Amino acid sequence: MNHTSRRDFLKFGAALPLALHSLDLRKAMPKRTTPPRRVMFICNSLGFYRPNFFPSVRGDLSSSKYLAEMKTSNKLTVFQNLFHPGMETSNHDSEKSFLTGVPKPESSSFSNSISVDQVLAQQIGKETRFPFLPLSIYDRGWGCSWNNRGVAIPPMHDETKVFDKLFGKEDLLAKRKQIANDQHVVNCLYRDIKTLEKLSGDVAKIDSYRVVIAELEKQLEHDAFWLDAQKPVVANTLSTNVEFAFSAKIKNMLELSKLAFQTDSTRVITFSMDWIYGAIKVPGATGGWHTLSHHGGKKDVLEKLIRIEIDIIQHVNKFLADLDQIKEGDGTLLDYTTVVLGSNFGDASNHTCNNLPTIVAGGGFNHQSHSVSERPTPLCNLWLEILNEHNVDVGRFGSGSQNLNLLSN
Amino acid sequence: MKKINPQMISVAVCIAALIAISTEANAGCQGFESANSNQVEGEKLLAVYCFDCHGEGGEGGLNLVGLLEKDNFDGTFLFENLITAKMPPSDMEQPSVDEKRVMLKWLAERQKEMAQNSFRRISRHEFVHSVNDLLGTNLNMADEIPEDRGTNDFDSDRRIQLSKEQLVSYFTVADKMLEYAFPVDGFPEERIWITNKLKDSHETYNLYVRDYKDGTLLSWTRANNGNSYSFFFDNFEPPVAGWYDLTFDAMKVGAFEGDVSVQIHAGKYYYADDRPQPQRLLDVISLGNRQLESHSVRVFLNPGENVSVHCYSQHTYRKKNPNQGAYIKQLKVRGPIQDQWPPKSYPIVFGELPLKSSPKPAQNKELEPTVVSGFQSNLKKIGGNLTVSSFQKGMEKEKMQDGSNRTFWHTRFEPDIADSPHFVILENPRQVEIEGLSYATWSGGNGNGQVQKFSVFVSDDGKTWGDPVVEGDLEIRLANEQPIPFTKPTTKRFIKFLINESFSLDGRSLASIGKLDVAVGWKVDHPKNKVLVDSTSSDDLKRVIRQFAVRAFSSDLSDNELEPYFSLGLSALQENQEFTQAAKVAMKAMIGSPRFLIVPGEHSSSSHSRVAELARILWLSVPDDELIGLSNASPVSAEVLAGQIERMLSDEKSDRMIDSFCAQWLNLRSWRTIAPSLKLYPQYDDLLNYYLPMETTAYLRHLIREDLPVVNLIDSNFSILNQRLAEHYGIGGVVGQQMRKVSFSSEVPRGGLLTMGSVLKVTTDGFDTSPILRGAWISKNIVGTPLSPPPEEVKAIEPEHGKTAATLKEQIEQHKSNPACYACHKSIDPYGFALENFDATGGWRTKYRVEKPHRGTFQFRLDGYYDLAQEVDASGEIGNQEFENIFGLKQALLLDHKKVAYNFAKKFFEFAHGCKPTLNQRIDLFNLIENDPDDCRLRDLIKKVVMYSLAGEEK
Repeated sequence: MNHTSRRDFLKFGAALPLALHSLDLRKAMPKRTTPPRRVMFICNSLGFYRPNFFPSVRGDLSSSKYLAEMKTSNKLTVFQNLFHPGMETSNHDSEKSFLTGVPKPESSSFSNSISVDQVLAQQIGKETRFPFLPLSIYDRGWGCSWNNRGVAIPPMHDETKVFDKLFGKEDLLAKRKQIANDQHVVNCLYRDIKTLEKLSGDVAKIDSYRVVIAELEKQLEHDAFWLDAQKPVVANTLSTNVEFAFSAKIKNMLELSKLAFQTDSTRVITFSMDWIYGAIKVPGATGGWHTLSHHGGKKDVLEKLIRIEIDIIQHVNKFLADLDQIKEGDGTLLDYTTVVLGSNFGDASNHTCNNLPTIVAGGGFNHQSHSVSERPTPLCNLWLEILNEHNVDVGRFGSGSQNLNLLSN
Repeated sequence: MKKINPQMISVAVCIAALIAISTEANAGCQGFESANSNQVEGEKLLAVYCFDCHGEGGEGGLNLVGLLEKDNFDGTFLFENLITAKMPPSDMEQPSVDEKRVMLKWLAERQKEMAQNSFRRISRHEFVHSVNDLLGTNLNMADEIPEDRGTNDFDSDRRIQLSKEQLVSYFTVADKMLEYAFPVDGFPEERIWITNKLKDSHETYNLYVRDYKDGTLLSWTRANNGNSYSFFFDNFEPPVAGWYDLTFDAMKVGAFEGDVSVQIHAGKYYYADDRPQPQRLLDVISLGNRQLESHSVRVFLNPGENVSVHCYSQHTYRKKNPNQGAYIKQLKVRGPIQDQWPPKSYPIVFGELPLKSSPKPAQNKELEPTVVSGFQSNLKKIGGNLTVSSFQKGMEKEKMQDGSNRTFWHTRFEPDIADSPHFVILENPRQVEIEGLSYATWSGGNGNGQVQKFSVFVSDDGKTWGDPVVEGDLEIRLANEQPIPFTKPTTKRFIKFLINESFSLDGRSLASIGKLDVAVGWKVDHPKNKVLVDSTSSDDLKRVIRQFAVRAFSSDLSDNELEPYFSLGLSALQENQEFTQAAKVAMKAMIGSPRFLIVPGEHSSSSHSRVAELARILWLSVPDDELIGLSNASPVSAEVLAGQIERMLSDEKSDRMIDSFCAQWLNLRSWRTIAPSLKLYPQYDDLLNYYLPMETTAYLRHLIREDLPVVNLIDSNFSILNQRLAEHYGIGGVVGQQMRKVSFSSEVPRGGLLTMGSVLKVTTDGFDTSPILRGAWISKNIVGTPLSPPPEEVKAIEPEHGKTAATLKEQIEQHKSNPACYACHKSIDPYGFALENFDATGGWRTKYRVEKPHRGTFQFRLDGYYDLAQEVDASGEIGNQEFENIFGLKQALLLDHKKVAYNFAKKFFEFAHGCKPTLNQRIDLFNLIENDPDDCRLRDLIKKVVMYSLAGEEK
């Protein structure tokens, strides 16, 4: 079967250890013609202070206080005047719609739809051990990733567990037994569902379960397929700086993302930078991030908020620069990785969602450093374009009805 | 203020309906006129009583004339204002009781309610409690399952859908719990360990413990950054996850009043210092005894964790008095505990089936305690030894292996400096598999010789070394142990640790190491006792599966229905698996089944479904044998049901409901995420953090168990406190950390939920308090004032406490200047004003604290870093009631107990039912409330709401 052999090939490709011990093995592998493309979405749930974020001189990145120092400035574009139609204002629920574009997330009857990262994961996720990797800062249970039924996909917030999932040793024998056992259990449950269908008049109830068990069954198949491929061996380079726990968390999640991409463990990552009401500490400032985000223009409050935002930008800056240092194909890993940094808020201080601060970096695009749309433009057009760029043909996505070639003009 | 006439709604009819629950479920709504005449009448009455103010050009931005023209307007806001008598205002003409009933009924009938799912998935808490009850285990596994509540108020919300991720984690957790209940390799034998040795700490903290008599005297230790610093008994390591009894032979030393508290933690040793230590606070021992006594706690420990202790009492600052503190003579650990043999899980699941098991393990007195006081390095354990390139006298190679980082190996520097290369060779004569090395610097000193770069080589003969197997950097000035894992384990006889670069103050070539040891993969072999069911009979297996299904699904299932589970279990049995393991496979399938994970399930009778519902609401679990027995026997009558509710509320399993309901209703779940600023609130510590939410759940539990009036939610002359909480609240005479009922005089502002530290803390960000947030919290959770979201495009500003800025109140009073804001905020902010006398940790204040600027690294100080600023002004006005402070506000709230009880009923209904009550249901809920505040009691109200909720299922 053609399909399998392609996956088999990829599987062993991914199994290559990072360390150079296995150079010989690497030589023995057939060369890939073009490297795979990866995508990452980062959502800063409390936005960025726009006067510092957007370039004050059109087209000139160095006129942005935040972005002037970006090391990969020739490989990124800042987009201005993007928004989600129907939700110019909202509240913190707008985070739910960041990657879906579904309006009125604050309404009690809101139901979400699939997020752009999941559309990608369905298409390009099959070829890696992990179809996608959802990350967050805190243990909240939801982030920006939503499945095709509009159900939140819980992100992982514990970097040690993420590292272990990606690179940790497994007892393969036990796992093989486990998967076989679970497959028997799933078959048993399928049979019971048949009985239940006859017994219960509640079709919706049974369907709500059937769809989930089917997904589980698929995952078992996927896991079984990857069983014989060893996980890549990677040194644990995570920071344990607990004084600046917030900073360290962001740094670690980005580091893990780098390692995951580098080892081709996954090709789609979503990092939801969620918030809690308590105080955080970054170099130079301590305070409630949320409280500070409602700065109301006050200078002393803004000063602290800006420290936090600078800290975040610096981590992203390093992440992009790191990706750009890793050789991949005829360029760097960054050239084959589209990184989106954005927010559901245009201005968190008054809960408005117009002019969303958005950066796209890498991905091999012909970057234009600063792209200002003349009229407010649906962010979903950008999502649609990213889908198209990764050979996902969906026609339209959310409020994005056309590929405006924002990235490729 | 006019109150609603007691006869307004036919209470009698509703109670009658409850009693006749199984026959006449819908009776609660009888006695009203038909919908049609209601409509005409209702609209007319609305015009009469409301249009004066809220006609066209209406007050407060509400134009009812315009609203009524819309077909599908949401009448909830009007309904709630009317039913809670907020509107019409008390100084306006009031509708009669009958008129009001007509208006409410009309609003309820015309309301288009959102369609609700007829089912919901069970929450992760319900999952874990249920499986615990099914298996006879007591494991806290909820944290291993993702939170799926999202932004919904209650776990039970029917809008939450099951996701694959959730199902995957249910499968994983089911495996773990089944393995714990029926371990394939048997149960680890119970043992006893005795130790009195504490691990060395950073030198800064060694000041706070010292040898005393046969053990250790501990003093209060707050680290430089304010964290509780704790000391580890690292010679005991739990061999397996399980329950252990920790017995401390300990006493209080010193003549001061009050108990010394010993906090018991579990966690990994964290060498350094000031940093937050990732530990779990397991329990607290309160030492009031001046003679040695044994204090025991039962705790759950995982392998890799150590037990540690932190002493709390400000009287023990040993710099002042060297003979004060907590004296711990020794720690005795017993476990893993099995309360009965064979373990409870076997009779619960396998009933009377005969067992093959090892002989009954030794009982307590027969157990030989293992004294674990000495230290042995891993290298010693595998019979290995060390050689070094050189050493300085007094700093020999053994110092790397003595378990202390205060002693260390150092290369020779006197009389002459040893030349590089500096290295250590570890010999592994038995050729044990070694997975890596573990390195630590020596603690204290000037850092001279600390390793910065290293290479590791292996060799068969100790002569030819080849290429390094691992190279890297080590951090200096880091007291933690730094692991050096090999890419693959080695069994070579010689391992060389070569120091390529080390720190030196003056450029001399030096090397020093506090600890160097090998990391080995093997585990201590712990004797185990296997327990197996002595049967190979498929009929036995089917019987076990059937019995489990009855309990898990609360239903009698036909053979046909059970067939998939039978055949799964039987084929596992046939595949030559053992009976117990085959049963486990079938149990896993049942735990993963939609019949278990989605409720309501498929029940064989309405009695089964009713007891299932009851167990889920009150115990977050499956029915017990008594409930199942009832549903098998006959239809469950309302009287029997009421009796069962009483029994279930008295059972300690109802604590789960109380904890869970508190966590959700009062939003205490976000409790731990907020750490108060130690500059402003230096007194805040782990102990307070541990007890504050306990006060709330213990208080609610007390109100329910004693069936006290609902008004206690607002105010009372007692709370459930201990020494630490009483200290925080400034209430004297409470000694010891046991939680108990403490009564206080009327000058004490405590009593009731509003003035509890937990509640006051959860509405802040740890720095400042926000009257708006607190006000909104009270409006939503206690008083039930309906709120609409803020208007669009309004600058939302968090008001700030400061010396120069406008007073906080002035800032907030800006709401008054904008009618759109004021319409709502006049019913929100004042509640918050009344709480301004309470700081972000719930402490009493009369002046605000403003953080002082400070430079450099933060050093914890007991008196903090703040200045006192403005006087607190806690006065306000709510619904024409003026108040000076919290005392006045409580009085104002107490005037209308029905409002509070009604809100409680709605919240409990939503908790139980998974969706908000419809307007029709709200009329019914309101009818459940007794008119006399003394008759309106919490347990009674819960009982009525539960019975009403169950009746609703019948509709």
